[in-house]
Amino acid sequence: MDNILEVNAIQTFIGQFHILEGVSVQVRRNAITVMLGRNGAGKTTTLKSILGLTPPRHGTVVFDGQEIQGRRAYDIAALGIGYVPEHRAIFRNLTVAENLKIAERKKGDLDSKADFIFGLFPDLKRLIRLPGNHLSGGQQQMLAVARALVADNKLLLIDEPSEGLAPILIEQMMEAIRALSATTTVLLVEQNFFMASKLAEYYYIIDDGRTAHEGKMVDLIEDKELIHRTLGAAVRKG
Amino acid sequence: MKRPNFFRSNSTLFGVLAAIILLSVLGFATMGQVPFVRTTLSGLTLGSLYFMVAAGLTLIFGLMDVLNFAHGAMFMVGAYLGWQFYTNPTILFGILPLILALITGLFAANILRHYLMGVNLSEKAQKSIVPALVLISLVVIFLAVRGLDILGMAKTAMVATMTASDPLGEISAQEPLAIFWVRPILMFIAGLLLAASAARPGDKTQVVYSKELKSAWITVGILAVATVVAVVIRESGPVAVLLLNADLRFFASLLVGALCGAGLGAAIEVSLVRPLYVKSVFLVIATLGLANVLRETIMVLWDPLAYQMTRPPLFSQPGKAENIGAWFSGHNVTVDILGVTFPSYRLFIILLGVLMIITLGVVMKYSRLGMIIRAGVQDRTMVEALGINVRKVFTIVFMLGAALAALGGIGAAPFIPVQPNMGDAYQLQAFIVVVIGGLGSFSGAAIGALLLGLARAFGDYFALKFSLSPAIAEASTVIIMAIVLLVRPAGLFGKKE
Repeated sequence: MDNILEVNAIQTFIGQFHILEGVSVQVRRNAITVMLGRNGAGKTTTLKSILGLTPPRHGTVVFDGQEIQGRRAYDIAALGIGYVPEHRAIFRNLTVAENLKIAERKKGDLDSKADFIFGLFPDLKRLIRLPGNHLSGGQQQMLAVARALVADNKLLLIDEPSEGLAPILIEQMMEAIRALSATTTVLLVEQNFFMASKLAEYYYIIDDGRTAHEGKMVDLIEDKELIHRTLGAAVRKG
Repeated sequence: MKRPNFFRSNSTLFGVLAAIILLSVLGFATMGQVPFVRTTLSGLTLGSLYFMVAAGLTLIFGLMDVLNFAHGAMFMVGAYLGWQFYTNPTILFGILPLILALITGLFAANILRHYLMGVNLSEKAQKSIVPALVLISLVVIFLAVRGLDILGMAKTAMVATMTASDPLGEISAQEPLAIFWVRPILMFIAGLLLAASAARPGDKTQVVYSKELKSAWITVGILAVATVVAVVIRESGPVAVLLLNADLRFFASLLVGALCGAGLGAAIEVSLVRPLYVKSVFLVIATLGLANVLRETIMVLWDPLAYQMTRPPLFSQPGKAENIGAWFSGHNVTVDILGVTFPSYRLFIILLGVLMIITLGVVMKYSRLGMIIRAGVQDRTMVEALGINVRKVFTIVFMLGAALAALGGIGAAPFIPVQPNMGDAYQLQAFIVVVIGGLGSFSGAAIGALLLGLARAFGDYFALKFSLSPAIAEASTVIIMAIVLLVRPAGLFGKKE
């Protein structure tokens, strides 16, 4: 089976709001898949629904051959899903070392991954003893990604890694995501179309809580009209 | 890059310590040595007790957004049960098998779920079977404790303390085993029924992992053995405890008080708090109600009277030790410290408080649990998204907090009256400590407790000296809270939201 994750027509409610009205996403193993769409289209909620943080009310989520919808979030994550939330949600009152250590699922995870992680983000090694709130925005974002790499994850859900980063840091982040996609599968949410188009192999466009378009990134890049119609502002920004 | 400056990043801590030292020097100069040292020591004693109540309160709030108004009741329950263990543990040994039997049944929930979820039931039957099972189990519990002389067992202990006679002579005869064994079995059945209702028979959407099933079998097995042991030692246990060296018995009663608090805390979290996490406003009402229920239960069992727990011989030999060293050989009731005659037991409370601060501080800073708690205070969703079972951590924190409050209660029992509302004042002060220290901050609770204990003691001293109303002393803590909140609205160590 070449799909590590299959999201089939999930519907999610937050309070009384019907946020997702039928999102379907297939994530192919060892590739980068990106979800595009306007603000508030439901991309972040889709990631949270996969992870069980906002459990879907209808539809199925199949990860690595087993249905996971309805399970508790910690249980789903422990199956091997790493999550990099938006807004660089690291633990600000913990040191960099502790931020990484807490992500261990078994003893020694961090030791065995340390070389790989610090190879991707050499800055973090230097900052290892600092508390999270002493880091700059870019360093915090790198820590958030690094944290998801500590445990043995088969799938990484990465939410807007470029948000609020300076152009030079975006380059570095892209390099890192490309490098880590050699060993794991990535499902990316990204507003920055330039970054998404450079990284991803497959794309999904989420609009108004539904999957609107899907296909190969190479085809989307050609289709200027579709980009303009569905993503509008997002392209100009990139 | 900003270098972390040790002094700058701990500026609040040093600021507060500097203020305390400054005030101390002022106090020392104006008050004279003897009253100053005495008041400081009293303040430290109070601060130790405040800390033990406040530590749990602040962590429970920080992690779960729960204002636990039943925390003072834990203090009280710890004092009562520890005191009972010290003076006459008959009632504890008499009830233990029943509680263990009930818990054994409850822990079978996952096993029952595994076997019952496949049963074919109509949707209507599924809905009605849950309350029916709960109702039946309540009837069974009633049958199990019917005619059990709990009141008598409590009263015996009461008489034993009040007359200060030989407690061994006061052990009431318990039911013969031939009659008694029915009770734990009924309790076990009641536990099974409750577990079955929690297992939602017929609901096929549930999942039971083989790992969970296995651990449930092991837990039930261990608990069943423990129940049988508890039944067997029911009569010999109290005698053996009372024959123990009184000092040893006292330290054991500290442990028993804390363990009872831990057990009660875990039970409250799982049964009452967990279903209400999503509606934290209801939790205020639920825990307030629970505090009342616990207080009334204690009143029924022990009558609304105030008792005095006797100090263990270690702290009650007549005379005054000339210094701490002399106390180690004399075990005197008072010790001379810098010219002040101070009760040795209160020094023990200060020591206990300091030990607890250090132990908890080390756990919070260096253990994985402490790391998860600190992370969870900031963002518990993200902790869960890392694959950590946050609910389990909630239960552990609730349990630890309750245990610490109960330890404070039994620790305080030898010098404050043991009575149903003994926890209320400490709960109120602990809330103030938590607000001053910053909600959810452990070091805030430690510093806040120190500050408040000293404020209260010095307030009392000055109120007495200038013959002011004692209400002023009581207000001193609230005044400090007001000042701190004016300067730092999130508390001393609170995070700006």
